[in-house]
Formats: sequence, C-alpha cells, structure tokens
Amino acid sequence: MAEEKKAPASKSGVVKKLKATSIASAYQKEWFAGLKKRVEAGEDFGYLNADVPMEILRAMDIPFVVNQWWAAICGAKRMTRKYFGLLRDAGYRDDLCSYCATAFAESLDPDDHKVDEEGKPLGPWGGLPDPTLAITRLTCDCQSKIFELFAKNHGAAFYAMENTVPRKVPLTWFDKVQDDWEDFYDKDRLDTAVEELKELIRFLEMKTGKMFDINQLERVMNLINEQESYYRKIRDLIASCHPVPVTVVDTINAVMQAQWQRGTEWAVEHAKGLYEEIKALADKKEAAVPNEKYRLMWIGRGIWHDFGFYQRFEEKYGAVFMWTMYLAMGADAYIRNHVEEDPLRALAARYIGMEDFLHMPPWNSQWYLQQARQNDIDGVVYMVPENCMQAVEGSYFIKKTLEDAGIPVLTFNADPVDPRKWSAETMTGLVEDFIENRVIPASEARKGK
Amino acid sequence: MGIRECALRSQAFLRLKEVYDNREAEALKWKAAGKKVIGEMGCDVPDELLIAAGMLPVRVYASPEKKLVETDKYLEYAFDPVVRSQFEKIVDGTYGRLFDHLAISNSTDVVIRIFLYLREIHRVEPDKNVPPVEFIDWLFTRNRLHQVRNEHTIQIFKEAVESWRGKPLTDEEIAEAMKICNDDRAALREMEKLRSGEEIRISGCEALVIIGSAFFMDRKEHADLVKKVTEDAASWDVLTGPRLFVTGSDQEDLSVYEKIEDTGAVIVGEDHNWGDRFFERDCNISYSPIRAVVDCYMLREFSSKKAFVSQRVEALNRWVHRTNAEAVVFYTNIYEEAASWDYLSQKKSLEEQGIQTVNFAKMAYPVDKNETFDETIQAFVEKINSKEEVQA
Repeated sequence: MAEEKKAPASKSGVVKKLKATSIASAYQKEWFAGLKKRVEAGEDFGYLNADVPMEILRAMDIPFVVNQWWAAICGAKRMTRKYFGLLRDAGYRDDLCSYCATAFAESLDPDDHKVDEEGKPLGPWGGLPDPTLAITRLTCDCQSKIFELFAKNHGAAFYAMENTVPRKVPLTWFDKVQDDWEDFYDKDRLDTAVEELKELIRFLEMKTGKMFDINQLERVMNLINEQESYYRKIRDLIASCHPVPVTVVDTINAVMQAQWQRGTEWAVEHAKGLYEEIKALADKKEAAVPNEKYRLMWIGRGIWHDFGFYQRFEEKYGAVFMWTMYLAMGADAYIRNHVEEDPLRALAARYIGMEDFLHMPPWNSQWYLQQARQNDIDGVVYMVPENCMQAVEGSYFIKKTLEDAGIPVLTFNADPVDPRKWSAETMTGLVEDFIENRVIPASEARKGK
Repeated sequence: MGIRECALRSQAFLRLKEVYDNREAEALKWKAAGKKVIGEMGCDVPDELLIAAGMLPVRVYASPEKKLVETDKYLEYAFDPVVRSQFEKIVDGTYGRLFDHLAISNSTDVVIRIFLYLREIHRVEPDKNVPPVEFIDWLFTRNRLHQVRNEHTIQIFKEAVESWRGKPLTDEEIAEAMKICNDDRAALREMEKLRSGEEIRISGCEALVIIGSAFFMDRKEHADLVKKVTEDAASWDVLTGPRLFVTGSDQEDLSVYEKIEDTGAVIVGEDHNWGDRFFERDCNISYSPIRAVVDCYMLREFSSKKAFVSQRVEALNRWVHRTNAEAVVFYTNIYEEAASWDYLSQKKSLEEQGIQTVNFAKMAYPVDKNETFDETIQAFVEKINSKEEVQA
C-alpha cells in the first residue's frame, strides 16, 4: 500500500461513547504506573505473547504485560515509524512481523525512558520497564527468535512453550466448548499442554521464588469465566439489537483493555459495568448510528493507528461496523466451565484452542459464519495481514464459507500497527465501493425475497 | 563451473544426475510395479518408516515454470514462492496422480498451513485430485517432555504407514530400513570429505546432485551409487576457488549454486535441507525403532526455521568450521522470513572470527529474476580473492 496519507475528513470521527472505555483507559494507565513501581522495587516482570497462558502468572501474582496489547499502545501512540526506523538502522529488516517486532524495536530506542524538555516521556507511557521474563509460544517460526532477541536486549530470561496442531476438526465448537471442552481437543494434546503448564510453573517458581497455588489458579479461572460470560451477554445483546446501541469503536478498547486484565476482580466488575451500560442503551433503544442500514463485520486485527476508519461509512451509507473478534472471542472461546475438576486441564483447553479457533479452518470459518448469521451481517471486511505467517488463517476458506452463505466479503492486505503501509484514502474508497456494489445489492436482494 | 566434464565421465554420477533431472521417473516405475509412492513435504518425514513398509519416499519440489493457477486462489501471498510452486503441483493433480499419500512434517510454520489448507480442501472440495494427507506434528525444542511427545507422534505416523500398507511394521523391518538410510548417510558423509576437505574434488553443484537424487530413488541404490561416485571423484580435478558456505533457503535445483560457482568460488557446504543437513545424523540402531527415529530427526543440527537465534548462531559456526569455509552466503527467498531474524547475530559472530559474509534477502524466485545477483556475488568473490592476495 502507498505511503501514509491523511484520511478524508470523517464527520463521525472517532466517537467513544461508553464510560467503560474511559474507565478502562484510566485504569490501564494507573495499573501500568503501579506495575512500573513494582518493577522498580525489584519484582520480576513478565513480557508475554498473547497466546501464553497468562493465568499462571496472574495466579502467582507476577506482574506482566502482553505483547499484542503493548504493540497496540505503541501503534496508537504513533511510535511504529520511529521503531521500525531503529530496526532498519540496527541492520534488521523493517518490513517483517510488525506486531511481534514492535517491542523488540522499542528495546533499541535509547530514548525510551527519557523525557523531553517539557518533562513529557518520550517512550509510550514512559517506556516499557525492563522485563525479567520473556515468554512466548512457538506458534510461528519468527516469534521465538524475536522474543529471544527482545529478552537479550532487556537482560530477561527467555522461555518458549511449544504448540501442537489439532487432529480434531469440529465444525460447531462455539456453543458447546465452554462445558464440553475435553471433547473438542485431542486427549494427547491436552495431556501435553498440561505438562507444558507444569514446566512453565516450575520455571516461574525457580525464577521468581514464588510458589504456585492451584487454588489461586482456580479462583483466577473462575473470575475469567465470570468476566467472559458478561462478554457473551454483551455480544448476544448487540446481535439482537436493530439498530445496535454501540459499534466496534466502542467495544474493542473497552473489552480488550479489560481482557488483558482477565483473572482479576477489577476485570469482572468492568465487564459487568460494560454490560449494564450497553444494556441501558439498548433498553432506551439508543442507536449508535440512527440511520443504521447495513451491518458490517470486521475480520482481522484492529487498525490501531486509524481507529476512525471504522466510523467513516456511517453517515454516508448507514453502514456500521458492529462485529469484531475482540468481543466475540471472549464470548465464545475463553469460557471453560467445571474448572474445579482440574484447573490446569481447563486452562490447557483454553490456551491451546486459541491458535485453533483463530487461525485454522474450519474452526475459524465456521465460527465467522455462525457469528455473521447471529449478528445479521450484511457484509464482511476482511483484513488479511501481509507480513505475518502466524495470522495466515485460510482466507480463501473463510471467504468461501461466508460467500457461499450469501454474505459478501471484501478482502484486502494491510498491517495492523504499521501506518506506513496504510492509505486511509484508498481503503475508504475500497470499502465504499464494496458497500455500493456488493453489500447494498445483496441486502436488497435478501429483503426482496 | 556447474557440473564438470570429469563428473560427467562417471557412470555413477550420470545415473544420479539422470534421477535428479527426471524426478518422477523412478516413482513412475515404482507405481508401475504396483508399489506405493509417498510424497514428503517438510524435511522431517522419517524415510525409515516408509522404506521399511516397502514404499518409495519422494520429496515434493517446486517447478518454477508452472503458472500458479490454483495456488493464487488458495494461498495468501505471505507464503514463500517455493512453497507456492509446490502447492500448485499438489492441488492441480500433478501429485494426486503420482502419490498414494502425502506426508507433511511441521518443519516450518508455512508447511503447517499447507497441511491445514489441504485438509480443508479435502473437506470442502472433495472432488479435487489431492493425495490423502498425513501430518507429523514434531516438536523441535529440546527437552524430555517434547521427546516423549515426539515418540507418541511418530507412533501415530507409524500406524498411518501400517494402515497404508495393510499390515504392521515389524521392528526388524524398521531396523533394516534404518541400516539402509544410515548406510546412505555414511556414504554421503564420505563424499562430503571430498567436498569440504583440504583438497576439494566435488563442487557444490555436483554435491547437490549427489545428495538430492536420494529424494527420488531407491535408497539402497542411491547409497551404492554415492559410494561409487566418491571413488570416482577421488581423481576429479581439484577445485581451488574461495570456499563458500551457503545458508538460508532450501536449494531444490542448481540455479543459485551455478551462478555462485560461475564466479570461480566453490560451495563447500550448506545447512539447508537439500544439502548437508540431510545426512548429518544417523538413527541409533541400538535404540527401540521409534526412539531411534525421534533421536535422529529431533536432534539433527538446528534448522533455520525451528530454532532460536542463539542456536542458529552456534549451528552456523559449527557448520562453517566443519567445512573450513572462508565466507558465508546468506540467501533467503522472499517471504521466507524466519532466517532474517538470525542473520544479524550470525553475521556478527562470523565476522568476529574473520569469516566474510554477503546477504541476499527477499530474493525473487527463481534466481534469474534478480537482476543484480550475478554482479553482487561476483564482486563478493573478488573481494575474497583480493583479501587472499593481500594475505599471500
């Protein structure tokens, strides 16, 4: 895609209407400041990839930051251009693995913890404190290499967890996996994943001197189930509303900021508050886009550097982006009931499943179809990542599954955190063309029937 | 330099070259005799189990001249061009006609995706002539847990092979196949001495033919031919150019090596899967069959895909010292990204030891599409030569 260009003026702009979003943003900053203090006081600090079972660190009260969340913060703070310049200057390629390489690139920034003349921090939120633990999973060939380099730059201990590929290919997992999770994963995969968890626990115990407590994990898992159940209620509520009370711009940050805090009482309370706030809007029949005509689904990672993009089609077409995976994956893929029977096995059945439902057809394609139907989707805009093999997920099969069901799909290539490869003007034109030539005719044809 | 006249005078070498150049010929003969041909994608499919079952393992390879009519439909463009070309032959029926089954090992993340896509094609487009697919879910990080898991994984693969064959494999059959493969690997290691020893008698191109022909023919015959070639090569002309080591993308044909050796340099070794890495480690026949297979494939020298940066730095240092190379050529095809993260650390380590390096990243495929490659590699070799002259 061409060099970054200024997006055409959007009358809707980025409108974040929910209190829960600002509450989460405020909490996030407060939490991060607290984390920095703990690290400064000498506590161990973990930097984790998103598919690492963070629940173990939560149960052991080891502070941590998730790579994808931090990359999104760096993207939102418009640091990406600088960071990838640092990579290039150091001799690395600057066109690879943007999500995973952002924090590594940041570790090359000599100004990360400095302030400018006015005393404002130069690094995002004052920069990432030095982790003592860098933990990833081997879900792609590059990720472990980047994490190892990152760990070396920070002087952290590097730890990698393996990944296995499912032999089972259930077509409808999303409505039963919460209770029957043992049935959806190959038994030997679960056995290995449990052993992997035990090894991780041993590593963390040795590194931090803290001892793991299975009752704490059970508590964390139950808190997560409670939190994710609110997301399920929210997702179901939004799906049933015509027009929707909120859009993805409202929900993505509110959900994801709390998702990275999952396993805490704060996160449960926040999810509950989010539900109640949206429920109140729905009860009042409040419309996010009063002229809602077309409901759009976004597949792919969020465009963190141009969030306003999602709202550019509301006024002109009444087209509202109302679905992303960020709310729905919490709703469908994270809940694991019957924790008390074996908390480690329940956790294993969550974390090994992440790669399955996100990146493997038919786990993902069938879920997207079911979600499109539940949410009365008129069209799907699908961002296929252009430099990330981990996120390659069978776009042909996803598109085919949806289009065979009569739902038009626009696919395009872009990068979630690198604005150098994003042209707002081009993208807006593509989506406008898609709405005019595919979404509207398909919708009218359906209504005509 | 390419393949020299002295090599072409060897009947054994000519036979290996015939197989290397006509890669389906032996498989077709095998099929005509009513025996099974098994395709392999990824470099960690244990040949020993297939050979024990009386089957011919045949490596999937790219045909760059083929248009990617099917591939462009199914694969995102983050897939590297070699895999794209391989995939085309799997989904356009080429391999459907040749292979009874296709075994895929998770030797790279890309190949895992290929397995998932093929499995899904079987489900949603069952009329396509795609061979039945079996996946081998190796874990490559080295610890006891993963070793045990790998033994379970190979047991599953063994059972799949037994189902294809229609009867169980005996320990004796597997042990015999391991001996055949070990014998072949030992023969290749003897050959390697004439390639990377003090006197170089075998060029990189010739070595690729000698090694790569193993992927398309009966392994016992291959071992016998390699032994004969090694005897013949003892009297081949000595090569005297700068000694280069090649790391990075698999080189399935001679095109890159020909260009490099046309400069007068000699490729004395490589760490990719169509070269030295193939015969680096044997099966320990004193172990139980499954254990021996796991030990062999799991503990081979680190691949560029399934290893950490620090492991790759050490691995490349070991290869370079073993082959006494004086310079290293990094060569990676576009979208084959993992090795890019190793490169800087490897380069630093090599240069600290006085080993010169040149990096060709994001290379178009095939190599002819890269306009500046010839010029750059020529300049690099001249640089090595001029350094040698100064030192002399």
